[in-house]
Amino acid sequence: MAGLPLTGIRVTDFTWLGAGPYTTRTLADHGAEVIRIESAKRMDRLRILPPFRDGKRAGSVNRSGYFADRNSNKLGVTVNIKDPAGVDLVLKLIAQSDVVTSNFTPGTLTNLGLGYDRAREVRPDVVFLEMGMQGAYGPDASLVGYGQTVSAVTGLYHLSGLPGEVPVGTGTNYPDHIAAPAHSAFAVLTALWHRRRTGEGQYIDLSQAETMVSLLGPAVLDHTVNGRDPGPRGNRAEYAAPQGVYPCAGDDRWIAISVVTDEQWTRLTDELGVPELAARYPDLAARHAAHDTLDAELALLTGAQEPFELMRRLQKRGVPAAVVHTFGDLVDSDPQLRHRGHFAVLDHPEMGPSVYNAPPYRLRGVAGGDVGAIMRRPAPLLGEHTREVCSRLLGLDDASIDELTEQGVLA
Amino acid sequence: MPSDQPRGPLAGLRVLEISGLLGEYAGKLLADHGADVVLVEPPTGAPRRSLGPFLDDQPGQENSLSFAYYNTNKRSVTLDLTQEQDRAHFRRLAADTDVVLDGTGDVGHLDRLGLGHDVLAADNPKLVTTVVTPFGADGPYADYESTDLVLMAMGGLLSLGGYADGIPVRAGGDQAWLAAGQFAAVGTMIAALQADATGQGQVVDVSAQEAVVMAHENAVQFYDLEHVVKHRNGGQARQAAVGVYPCQDGHVYLLAKGLGVFWDELVSWLESEHVEGASSLRDPKWKDDDFAASEPGKAEFLEIFSRLALNRTKAQLYEAAKRVRLPLCPINTAADLVASPQLAARDYFTDVEHPASGRTLRMPGAPFKLTGSPIAPPRPAPRLGEHTAAVLDTLTSTGAQ
Repeated sequence: MAGLPLTGIRVTDFTWLGAGPYTTRTLADHGAEVIRIESAKRMDRLRILPPFRDGKRAGSVNRSGYFADRNSNKLGVTVNIKDPAGVDLVLKLIAQSDVVTSNFTPGTLTNLGLGYDRAREVRPDVVFLEMGMQGAYGPDASLVGYGQTVSAVTGLYHLSGLPGEVPVGTGTNYPDHIAAPAHSAFAVLTALWHRRRTGEGQYIDLSQAETMVSLLGPAVLDHTVNGRDPGPRGNRAEYAAPQGVYPCAGDDRWIAISVVTDEQWTRLTDELGVPELAARYPDLAARHAAHDTLDAELALLTGAQEPFELMRRLQKRGVPAAVVHTFGDLVDSDPQLRHRGHFAVLDHPEMGPSVYNAPPYRLRGVAGGDVGAIMRRPAPLLGEHTREVCSRLLGLDDASIDELTEQGVLA
Repeated sequence: MPSDQPRGPLAGLRVLEISGLLGEYAGKLLADHGADVVLVEPPTGAPRRSLGPFLDDQPGQENSLSFAYYNTNKRSVTLDLTQEQDRAHFRRLAADTDVVLDGTGDVGHLDRLGLGHDVLAADNPKLVTTVVTPFGADGPYADYESTDLVLMAMGGLLSLGGYADGIPVRAGGDQAWLAAGQFAAVGTMIAALQADATGQGQVVDVSAQEAVVMAHENAVQFYDLEHVVKHRNGGQARQAAVGVYPCQDGHVYLLAKGLGVFWDELVSWLESEHVEGASSLRDPKWKDDDFAASEPGKAEFLEIFSRLALNRTKAQLYEAAKRVRLPLCPINTAADLVASPQLAARDYFTDVEHPASGRTLRMPGAPFKLTGSPIAPPRPAPRLGEHTAAVLDTLTSTGAQ
């Protein structure tokens, strides 16, 4: 794996569920040795959540695609960290690690004897990330939460939906997938940069909620400075009109159209055969004022059209337009993602060849930007690498490993 | 040597950012964490300067609040890259920087200006050039026109957002552009660490479409493994006690089943509040997910829960939920955030001067706390061209023109 940017960085990884594993996946994909610490007694619950290969869990903890996509290129080790012998083994691993990561409720690792203070006794320059839902301290720090409740408490939910309707959010645990993992990975990388310069490690206290609020800065400022709650705006935006999602032919097919410039408006109305609309609503202000009317007109014009053909026609005229792609469209037939190699297929021992996201950027210096250099290994089976890691890094022989396994320490 | 003044972890990292909507958040993350980010703006100003919200709703180059937010700690240099002399300035600045961040989203525009990575790297082999574009630097859609909404559609997330029986609805706040910016910052740091270790820079080619795809949750695998295409299902409870519930002054999100197994805590709480019918929720039928997800099940739960919720504010419900350790959160507005005791206890919001108006702007502060390399109090976003003379002077003082 020489040549990957993070080769030589070792991570003891306690993360589980959504946001944490996507963070450490970024490190693993780029060459860090990420060692997932799990226990069969308290394993990552994503392992038993759908989707499963062929829709069947089949009594296995290794068939979840939700788990797999968040854990490419990692090693899987089972250790019972509620057993003092397990804690000792993990501390030996931390002593050889550059980074420790956790998204347990802050304080959990400390209570187990694996907190930052203990970790830096065995590894003084360790970078130690805790990513609690609302951070490591404060009156709400111990509250349990998930992506949807983070969406609610941060304002994302409030700002997503149609005016006057029930807030609708993104339909996903959005902060788990972008805000928290991207900021967390960035935080760890900056701390590694700092360590290069100073030799010092540090503790990172990341609040998943705060990372999401940081993505809503303009809405916060509209309140703090102008005293206004922008509220949900549906698909509209100040910088484009008309902008919306319009029906197309087919079952639940839609096209997003966004008109930023007057020229785009002229071309759109020409392409749709309604040039008179261009003259009637010549500028952005006029189009905003008539937005409801224009939405209704456009919906009538798009409703019978084949969506992909319409997208190609409008794009050819320089109009920002896109079919609302389903994930079936993207996996099966999106020529752009295919060209870029965004979906990597990795052969998993129980799931067979399965689709994973590649990172959303290509490092053109890494093997010529080849996704294959990044997407190397499928998600680990539960405990798949316990023996290998205990032997290589902890110096345990087979007999000791067998004994610790039998005692439930390595389980 | 470490100084006593907080400087952030990236002190010493030099970044040349070409202003644009796809890269501005990456530049902010780098600048706020201590990098010296020089924002290269055209004479007409960064595109963000013409986007709101505006101070007192008055548009103007120094009045954009979103510009003030996305450009804290940056310095501004005005360069007209259509002019040979300014291109020469740019090239000399790039010779002495660690990162060029092109956030314009305009595919190939640096190459067309004769300022592509290969040209710049000839003078500076360690250079990392991060190019953030809507669909990536190449491919059949590379030249497609886009906005945030179009990227949400092309990245698939729009298919999951919105009301079950209505149109797809995007996430609030231009999250596609921001997703691209966040991953651009991550990719930049990975490449910068490698360049620092090996002396070899490279291009980081970021696709906003792919950044949005990352938000699919498990929809890609549902399709790949089970041949199920996920669709939007918002605006309704997923099952009893999972979803948005109205209360006295707004809504709360309750998650007491599914991922979280908090049903018993929920029922005990409702009983302790003497909610009529609460004890009926102890019936074993509620542990059956099929019943809990059925219309009658959802309606029956809503009726019982509303007896409490409609008589409580979201803040009261949140406080009670914290006591019984139940995942229930208020659907907060910006006003709620600014009043949040949790965010206040963590000094999350920060006050930044706005020199053009003499006002102070309260905005989100650091998104995480680096206890060993804390960041400095933020400097305001620059005025257009504020640092042009100072930055170009360093060129003339460090070498021949």
